[in-house]
Amino acid sequence: MVQYIIRRLLLAIPMLLGAMSIVFFAMRILPGDPCMAMMGDEATREALQDCVRNLGLDRPLVVQYVDYMWKSLQFDFGRSLMFRYSVASYILSMFPHTLILVLSSTFVALLVGLPTGIFSALKRQNPLVDYSARIVALLGLSMPVFWFGIILLIVFSLYLNLFPLIGGGDLTTVIEMISDGEMFEYPQDFLAAILDVLHHLVLPALALGFTLAATVSRLSRSAMLEVISQDYIRTARAKGLAERVVVYKHALQNMMIPLLTIIGLFVAIALTGTVLTETVFTRPGLGKMLVDAIGARDYPLAQGAITVFTMTIIVVNLLVDVLYAVFDPRIAYK
Amino acid sequence: MALADQTASGGAAARQAIPTEQEWLQGLRGRRLRKLIPIILGLFMVLLMLLAAIFAPFVSPFSPSEQFADYVLKGPLSGPHLLGTDEFGRDLLSRVIWGTRVSLQVGLGAVVVGFLVGVPLGILAGFVSGWVEAIILRLTDMLLAFPTLLLALIIVTALGGSLFNEILAIGVALTPNFIRLARSLALTIRENDYIMAARAIGSSPVRVMARHVFPNAVSTLVVIATLYIANAIRTEAGLSFLGLGVPPPTPSWGNILSEGRQFIQCCAWLTTFSGLAIMLAVLAFNIMGDALRDLLDPRLRGE
Repeated sequence: MVQYIIRRLLLAIPMLLGAMSIVFFAMRILPGDPCMAMMGDEATREALQDCVRNLGLDRPLVVQYVDYMWKSLQFDFGRSLMFRYSVASYILSMFPHTLILVLSSTFVALLVGLPTGIFSALKRQNPLVDYSARIVALLGLSMPVFWFGIILLIVFSLYLNLFPLIGGGDLTTVIEMISDGEMFEYPQDFLAAILDVLHHLVLPALALGFTLAATVSRLSRSAMLEVISQDYIRTARAKGLAERVVVYKHALQNMMIPLLTIIGLFVAIALTGTVLTETVFTRPGLGKMLVDAIGARDYPLAQGAITVFTMTIIVVNLLVDVLYAVFDPRIAYK
Repeated sequence: MALADQTASGGAAARQAIPTEQEWLQGLRGRRLRKLIPIILGLFMVLLMLLAAIFAPFVSPFSPSEQFADYVLKGPLSGPHLLGTDEFGRDLLSRVIWGTRVSLQVGLGAVVVGFLVGVPLGILAGFVSGWVEAIILRLTDMLLAFPTLLLALIIVTALGGSLFNEILAIGVALTPNFIRLARSLALTIRENDYIMAARAIGSSPVRVMARHVFPNAVSTLVVIATLYIANAIRTEAGLSFLGLGVPPPTPSWGNILSEGRQFIQCCAWLTTFSGLAIMLAVLAFNIMGDALRDLLDPRLRGE
């Protein structure tokens, strides 16, 4: 087991380095000088040279590459061209917004997707149930999250005026109050701040959650179908257990293991979804930051955001693989 | 459970439960028909889109760039404008019809790129083990660390937004999926006796891969490719929505939606109809791909 985990860890390192190299070289073939793009045509020669020197673009490519790799691993992505402060601190301030969006939309996706997937697998003999579940899943799979988000905004924010149109709430205050211990001194303010954050979170989480639910539903359906045809399920039925017990005690617990492997894939989809979701809801976060950085040609910021996205996905995949081996020890010996 | 029911309700019911040959054939035909309905539905929608894209100049009531000064931001069914107009007084229906071109071109083009690059590499990786396989697989793993939209976004940012670059970017982003699929197919196919026979009579590895492995993998690959068209269309819409797709004034569903976003307070039809078009297009390819997969390759069902 330990051997497997070490091997998996070692495998993740070249992947991480490779993915970071792809980011580096993709940003490097950017048409035109990032400095020129940033400052426009009226920039003086001196200003341009200054910018090039600040970004270190005058150095040989190999030096830039090694420098980028080394600093990125230390979470140093340089300074943003737009905001003048360090990319790492900006990413850190944005990360919680994206994290709560991913977590809450995952919650929605599981809440909707798991039961429908399991139900449609168990009732697959009933074409009405199976077909309607599959049609709903197909619709969810085909509906772009940014469109669903806009529909939600039109209905719930504009017409019903229930939720805010833009923003992500004052998450910074909440985090500060937690870290300062002020949450106990001013419980009312703390509660108000949390409610504000949740108020901003509802629509984005629903939009992203429902589109992700389709994926969860399909995957849990096939996981359930796989488990339900196993011998131990037949044994459980043969010894006369109630169908309810068979499903809840035997099938459900075992279908969670194959479902676990797709969490990595799922996080990747969810993170991509945040790029579009945050843009639609004008919500602060990594995805919105990436889009804005690309729009403004803020090249260190964009590079930092993409690197963090990739790092997160690789690390999550690594964790999932390790967890998988813990839950299902057979994996480690393959 | 079924057996218990039969014995409980007596011999007559048991005899009835076993279908005659004719009934069995009818049942089979019924199942076939039920599987054919989604394919026909999906095919019909795809065909409709293809026709709309090819004959856009003839089908659309107006030019997508013609500006009607009297009809700025007018709702659906106002005057001759069936779906309303945008902020420049351009006819929305015409723009949505012309947008079909971008979506289909990118959807089909990107999948062709991914297929042409990914399938040969995948078959090679599945057929030749050793360092070739290792290099291809490691590269695939690296690219797979990026979700499709993110990878396409990086490439489009690097190359600049245009129809061709979008096709290229999404095509490259889809490639690792094709490599993985083609490799896993090649791994099963190469165990067959006919591969050994072909090798025994002295066929070169390239010939075996091209004449024996590829033809046996192609039906599955094409079916899965249909599903990736849906994926590519959705990714294109996402890129256009983020302002990284085909530059305006060329209409694409994503940029109509993105421009319409500023006017959701007054004019929700702009975002509603362009989004609906995206959803129906993606749905059409998803339905068709799903049904084809069920019909042609039961092994992949439920994946």
